[in-house]
Amino acid sequence: MEFSDWDLVQKCQAGETSAFQELVSRYQQKIFMVVLGLLRDREDSMDVAQEAFFRAYRKIKGFKGGSSFYTWLYRIAVNMAIDAQRRQKRNPLEFRDNMDAVLEEQNEVEKDPFSNVRDKELRAGLIAAINDLTAEHKAVIILRTVEGLPYKDIGEILGCSEGTVMSRLHYARKKLQGKLKAFL
Amino acid sequence: MIKRCEDIRDRIGAWMDGELSRSGAEEVRVHLESCQACCEERRQLEKLQASLEAVLVAGPSNVSFERFWPGVEQRINRKRVWHEDFFGRVRDLLTPPQLAWLVPAVIILVLTGVFSFESFFPGSRLAVQRNNFAAVDSIDAFGRNVAVLRENETKTTIIWLYQNQEGEDESTGEKTDASPSF
Amino acid sequence: MSLLGKRLTRALLSSSILCFLAGFAGAAEITSQIVQIKIGAILASNQGDEFDSRLAPLEKQLKLMKYRSYRLLKEESQKVQRKGNATFDIPGGRSLVVTPQESGTKQLALRVHLQQGGKPLIDTTVRLNSGGNFLLGGPPHEGGALVISISATAQ
Repeated sequence: MEFSDWDLVQKCQAGETSAFQELVSRYQQKIFMVVLGLLRDREDSMDVAQEAFFRAYRKIKGFKGGSSFYTWLYRIAVNMAIDAQRRQKRNPLEFRDNMDAVLEEQNEVEKDPFSNVRDKELRAGLIAAINDLTAEHKAVIILRTVEGLPYKDIGEILGCSEGTVMSRLHYARKKLQGKLKAFL
Repeated sequence: MIKRCEDIRDRIGAWMDGELSRSGAEEVRVHLESCQACCEERRQLEKLQASLEAVLVAGPSNVSFERFWPGVEQRINRKRVWHEDFFGRVRDLLTPPQLAWLVPAVIILVLTGVFSFESFFPGSRLAVQRNNFAAVDSIDAFGRNVAVLRENETKTTIIWLYQNQEGEDESTGEKTDASPSF
Repeated sequence: MSLLGKRLTRALLSSSILCFLAGFAGAAEITSQIVQIKIGAILASNQGDEFDSRLAPLEKQLKLMKYRSYRLLKEESQKVQRKGNATFDIPGGRSLVVTPQESGTKQLALRVHLQQGGKPLIDTTVRLNSGGNFLLGGPPHEGGALVISISATAQ
């Protein structure tokens, strides 16, 4: 029998750590992917994602179900990733190197969609352009692209209205488009 | 036409995301069927979206999560150093963005209240204690003994006029008890 | 900077500006021409242990004099222009005249003249903050001593 998120939250509030483990396994990849999109470093992202779950564990007794569990969890993770981003001191070139390292490690090189040289330049330019976005604009791009979340959920996670989400996405896309015009 | 195209282009992204109303989506779809420039904009956005997905999703999608839960469990079981716990709780208190404004707002209110209390309640005990010292610039007791007392704790100034020893006050018929002791 | 950081920074900046302005407001010179003078005539004695509850705001000040009993005889308030006179009848055939002076500073200056039956008892000039008070005491009254609390507030 599969429990809903809310059932698992209630079990966790009652002290069942196994219920929290189930929640972790449901959302670990999603949270990691969003954090990775913001931080662009695998180790840091893994660390921040685990820490986000730990913080959710500490605060779960106070979760009243006003929003869905996953938007609540995303909010914690996104805020932590944005804070971690401020502490990062790496430059965009290193980000590109890190992505290559991630792909090589995972034997993904041959499956790299950017196998064409020009496309590789597009990827490098895209990574640099994403990193140039402000934290708010980067967050909406990540949540929409990585998770395909509706604007309403993105707004709940970031604490803003749907209109603001739409406006930020439009601005972010325009900015990326402007920087990568030659490649698109 | 140009203004219409601008309006449509502002909404192509939301249309692609399926976030427009039915009538709005229909409006964009019909316009795209007949406008080359806006079609090109759509193509560019679609390519941008595909590139974003390739960078952000397809690349790292096979990362192993075998050690993820053990990492979380380790954090749960680890005894936090007292200051990590303290700062963690403080951060939790300040974290909800909707409430973050509340903490400095409360500080402002308290400080403003303290500084302006005597303006609203000039005779109040607080006002008396805070700013009450009076300075005596001149004094003429017409030959009587007089004392000026300034008490620090209550910030009180007392001007005390002693009875005339020659009995001048006795003529008023006033009987008096002992003088005060300060 | 994170969303939270930006919001906190904005809130702290505006609160600092507000506190700064509040400080200036507090430090402003008193230029008002109207002054409200409030007096309380109090009987302090060792007959009985009564403490008049109406004197609660002045309790700590009055008990400096170490009498056992304090009773409020009269309370009165008058508004007066600077250089104008506020005259109060004080129990025991006495009369108190309070004249706010031009001060040119942030404090109020009061000239206080107490007389009995036409004879002057004391004439003094006192400076105090708006809303502050001082005590003038000593004249014998009903087996104890008369204490007059004098406060002034710039309007």
